[in-house]
Amino acid sequence: MSDLDHFSMLPIHMDPQSKAILPSGSRPSRALAAELEKLNNLHRAILSIEVPPGAIPLVPPPPIPVNPKRTANVSKLRDNGNAEYRKQKYAEAIKLYTQGIEMALQRPLWEPAALVREEVSMLYANRAQAHMGIGNWPEGAVDAEASVEARRVGNAKGWWRRGRCLTEMGRLDEAREWVKRALEMEGEEADLMTLLKDIEEKIAKVRAA
Amino acid sequence: MFDIDWKGLALPFAYLLVLGGALMTFSTIYRRRKAAESANLAPWFGPHLQRDIYLSLLHLDPEEGAEKSPRVPDGVLRAALLRRAVEDIERLIHIKTAKQACGSLLQRGSVGDDLWQRFLRAEKEMEEELRDVVTEANALAPNWGTIIFQSAHEIAANTKLRQRLEEIQAQTDAEKAWWDKKRGQIQADFMKELEESEKGSTKDGNEDDAVVVNSPKKGGKK
Repeated sequence: MSDLDHFSMLPIHMDPQSKAILPSGSRPSRALAAELEKLNNLHRAILSIEVPPGAIPLVPPPPIPVNPKRTANVSKLRDNGNAEYRKQKYAEAIKLYTQGIEMALQRPLWEPAALVREEVSMLYANRAQAHMGIGNWPEGAVDAEASVEARRVGNAKGWWRRGRCLTEMGRLDEAREWVKRALEMEGEEADLMTLLKDIEEKIAKVRAA
Repeated sequence: MFDIDWKGLALPFAYLLVLGGALMTFSTIYRRRKAAESANLAPWFGPHLQRDIYLSLLHLDPEEGAEKSPRVPDGVLRAALLRRAVEDIERLIHIKTAKQACGSLLQRGSVGDDLWQRFLRAEKEMEEELRDVVTEANALAPNWGTIIFQSAHEIAANTKLRQRLEEIQAQTDAEKAWWDKKRGQIQADFMKELEESEKGSTKDGNEDDAVVVNSPKKGGKK
């Protein structure tokens, strides 16, 4: 952006049928190709907007209000997953949570990111718990980390679950670091304190042996 | 009384003329040099790819054989403008975070003045760029200019979030492989220990038994 009145003409053309924008020339630059792909994806997303009556077609609506349909679907999948979890059908629950996560992540990009964070953090935390139910510690650890990434504060369950999975896998030092960070974020949460004490005891036992 | 001695005044006039001329030449040269200097400063940001794409789409060349250049549908143009706004949001965030750091570094004299000049220019260009995007948006759809940056902000945040989540989820396979290996090893160790202790236990067991058998005798003797 060296000059506001000028721009560099890029070697691009439009596919007349699909209206996709493609790089011309035999060897397009990688950055340009990647950006054009993003552009075409966004274009497709814009084409699939449901136009509410009275609105102008093909314009991304403002972030709020959100189309309530997807929110309802996501929370329905989560509730069904919770029901399966309570019946101890962990594999079923994992499948439902996975569908819920996919559904939440397929939200159009212009919808509020905070909403996606909230939904996804809860679903990942629940899936982590279901994985822990059948002893899938590595999957549980990864899911709990994803949950914490989506929501750092007020997510003591997510923090606790990863700490617990790491402990189960015998990665005690890592688990201790993780739980200490969790305590910094969440304050003196009782479950986390117990877990930390547990880990410290295990480390002491390993050292002694 | 008004008999002016023009000849006598020629010298002061000439003096004024030379002085004015010298000052003017100096000022023009100085200014030109200054302008050239600031133009030669490297721009803060690299080329704005999204902006170039958007403007290239507006000036698309006609296809070979066709006379008229193809009409780019509105949807594509809007998507391109939105992509441009997203990139602007990212640059804006960058400028906001860099401004304080840059200012304090300049005060302490850790960075040169030209870095600050580059920064200020980037900031000014950014303002113009934002205004330009809003105008373009309003031209593409009525009143879109008021919401395009809200949408762009969410797109930037959403893209970053999804990227981080993907990175985290991508670890799953490696973690699983690691755990399978480790679990296999733990099991193997356990089996070995079990075998050994079994082998040993036949021996140990006898000794234990002996102790157990012996002790009551001892007790009995006492």
